[in-house]
Amino acid sequence: MNRVHGYARLEARDIEAQLIRRACEGDGRAVRALYDRYSPRVYAVVRRIAGDDDLAEDYAQEAWIRAIRALPTFRGEARFSTWLHRIAVNSALQAVRKDKTRRKREAPLPDVIPVPPRVGDTLLARKLEEALAALPEGMRKVLILHDVEGYTHEEIGSVLGVTSGTSKSQLFKARAKMRKMLKGYETRPEEIEAWSV
Amino acid sequence: MERLNLEQLARLVDEPPTPAERAILDRDAPLRRELEALRSQTEALRNLPAMLPPPGGWSELERKLLSAGLIRGRQGTPPVWRKWMQAAAALVIFTGGTAFGWATAFTTDGRGGSADVASGPASFASVEEAKAAVEEASRVWRESIGGYHRLLSAQNEAQASRDPVVQLAALNTLMAAAQVTVEEFPEDQFFNRVLVSTLAERDRAFRQFALDGWH
Repeated sequence: MNRVHGYARLEARDIEAQLIRRACEGDGRAVRALYDRYSPRVYAVVRRIAGDDDLAEDYAQEAWIRAIRALPTFRGEARFSTWLHRIAVNSALQAVRKDKTRRKREAPLPDVIPVPPRVGDTLLARKLEEALAALPEGMRKVLILHDVEGYTHEEIGSVLGVTSGTSKSQLFKARAKMRKMLKGYETRPEEIEAWSV
Repeated sequence: MERLNLEQLARLVDEPPTPAERAILDRDAPLRRELEALRSQTEALRNLPAMLPPPGGWSELERKLLSAGLIRGRQGTPPVWRKWMQAAAALVIFTGGTAFGWATAFTTDGRGGSADVASGPASFASVEEAKAAVEEASRVWRESIGGYHRLLSAQNEAQASRDPVVQLAALNTLMAAAQVTVEEFPEDQFFNRVLVSTLAERDRAFRQFALDGWH
């Protein structure tokens, strides 16, 4: 059984390697196949960092363009999904910084950006997304990278240009703030899965 | 320390408490429940689902990738003009390679056998230009394949003078030209068939030479 599973996994990796090779050569169908496979994960992280649907769409597209452009440098040392995810995170963080500079010169943003409901959202997931979006930007980025995406404080420090101590302190503040916002809502992880459509 | 605040509790989600913090937690049940709630919240965040991008995301991205030159055009049914352009490019590569190889194979001492083939797609500014190129390429192709058949029948008529090197050189030339064309246009059925039949012909020739005892 394990052996069969192993072969299946090997085959999936081979297919993915082939898709990547073809995408490198400019094959639109291969890029589409990679997009279909990974766009939900890319969009999710970018959407949470952006905290806004319109921006998220632009950031996700930019992330994909960067990834496709950088594809020839992908050596297969990490998993493709991890490599792509890093590009998406870096691209979104950079875009947020750029937009922030631009906005400073234009009109200020409202403190809380509403999160419109989407098909398949559970009540709890929606509450979590709303609370995430309502966090101050610095805290939100750290919380997303650490608690949602599983980055270490050292990794967060390097992508955000802060010390790991700052990352920790922002994380604890963000968790506490989230807890205050979510008081009254049970946040058992199984609920997210049970309520998912 | 009488009580831990929320930020301190948030740290205890993934770090062990100090002995002092442990002592406080041990005697404060509501605080322990609060820590549990924070742990559940962290776990729930870890399990947040992925999100589908808005519909139309791919079309927009495809447009951007195309304009940045990062992907080639759509792979669906090409419009008629594109078929003409593609056919012209394929034929020009193929016949160019065939004619060049043919010339080198049968000049000098007739044993050149070079299979150098022009590579890289030809490009045309208009459909008229592409059509003219197809016609010219077809002419060269007919002459080349006619030359090959003449060579074969001449050799069959005079078995004694049959020269396997010349025959293989001719087949190699055809095969190399077909290979380059198929690499450029992998979906072209005609050139795929040309390549397969040339390979088969070459195999047949090898077998025949082996039977004839040629070294």
